[in-house]
Amino acid sequence: MKTFEERYTGWIDGKLTAAEAAAFERELESVPDALPDKTDALRLGDFLRRHADAPSLTNADFFSHQVAARIAAESGREVKSDRRHWWQWSIPQLAMVGSACLLLAGGLFKMMIPTGTPEGAGTPYFAEIVDARTDNPHVSATPVYNPKDNVTVLWLDGLDYLPASAQLN
Amino acid sequence: MSPSKRTSADTENLPDEPDDLQLVARSQAGDQQAFNQLVTRYRSRAFSMIYNVVRNEQDAWDLAQDGFLKAWKSIARFRGQSSFYTWLYRILMNVAIDSIRKKQIHGGTEFDDAIGLRNIEPGAVTLPKGELQPIEKISDQEVRTRIDAALVKLSPEHRAVIVLREIDGLEYQEIADVLDCSIGTVMSRLFYARKKLQTLLRDVYENL
Repeated sequence: MKTFEERYTGWIDGKLTAAEAAAFERELESVPDALPDKTDALRLGDFLRRHADAPSLTNADFFSHQVAARIAAESGREVKSDRRHWWQWSIPQLAMVGSACLLLAGGLFKMMIPTGTPEGAGTPYFAEIVDARTDNPHVSATPVYNPKDNVTVLWLDGLDYLPASAQLN
Repeated sequence: MSPSKRTSADTENLPDEPDDLQLVARSQAGDQQAFNQLVTRYRSRAFSMIYNVVRNEQDAWDLAQDGFLKAWKSIARFRGQSSFYTWLYRILMNVAIDSIRKKQIHGGTEFDDAIGLRNIEPGAVTLPKGELQPIEKISDQEVRTRIDAALVKLSPEHRAVIVLREIDGLEYQEIADVLDCSIGTVMSRLFYARKKLQTLLRDVYENL
């Protein structure tokens, strides 16, 4: 069932069937202004068609040029966006890159981090001698470096005795 | 003027020119030149249609461009169930209506669809006579200004049905397709839009 508004619009535009129009016009008999209003509505439509026309498009070629430029720019962006960022990689890709990073880190660790006794560092032997004490003011200590063996020997003169733990075998 | 009919000189094909569907197929394959031909073919009608809704030349220019860009982006979804222009028409109309809605939100414009309808009883079909005094003579520019001012006072939905029906001359079914609503909704909106425009413009068209 059409509403009153729908039937009224159809009546103005002549879109009701003959039976619908007759029935609706009987309904409108109690509304004396219906016919003048229909005439008024048709006048409005005619008025709009004659006076509400749009101005013509000026610089039409420039319009097309701008649309084409925007489409080209948009297409360029789409091509760029097709390249996947690292956070869009798949799990196998991430696993491979992770493994490569681990290998690289291991290699760098091997190369950069020194192992064993650092060159020129003191020896436990030296520390033991220094810890030994004597009241003799005539004791002297002379360091002798042997570059061939990379050894520094502390030559002591004037000691009454050498601690057993510091004796050379 | 039905969206499926071509009446503008801008849209007439020369005999050796490809038809719309050929150009659409090439556009769907990524041929921007083919789409540019469609733009050239329909740019004037697109501009006019949008202008009739937004009533501003600069806005109509920008929105017509936005509409074509949207059409390009979604050209792959065109299945040929309607003519290309009907499909484009729907996109353009949505762009125009969205623009009016945005202006309503950001600009604070309010569409009072009850203006001029307060005295309409359910069974009454006529409006109170316009309260404005008759005018002596009105220039074309003034007429256009009055029409613009009146249309701007309609809600986007009412403006769209009036433009599509009274200016573009579409049938109810075509309007329903473009606006994605029922024919009953189209007819109901037309009823209220006409009543409001009769109130706002009667003094103009009665004195021409």
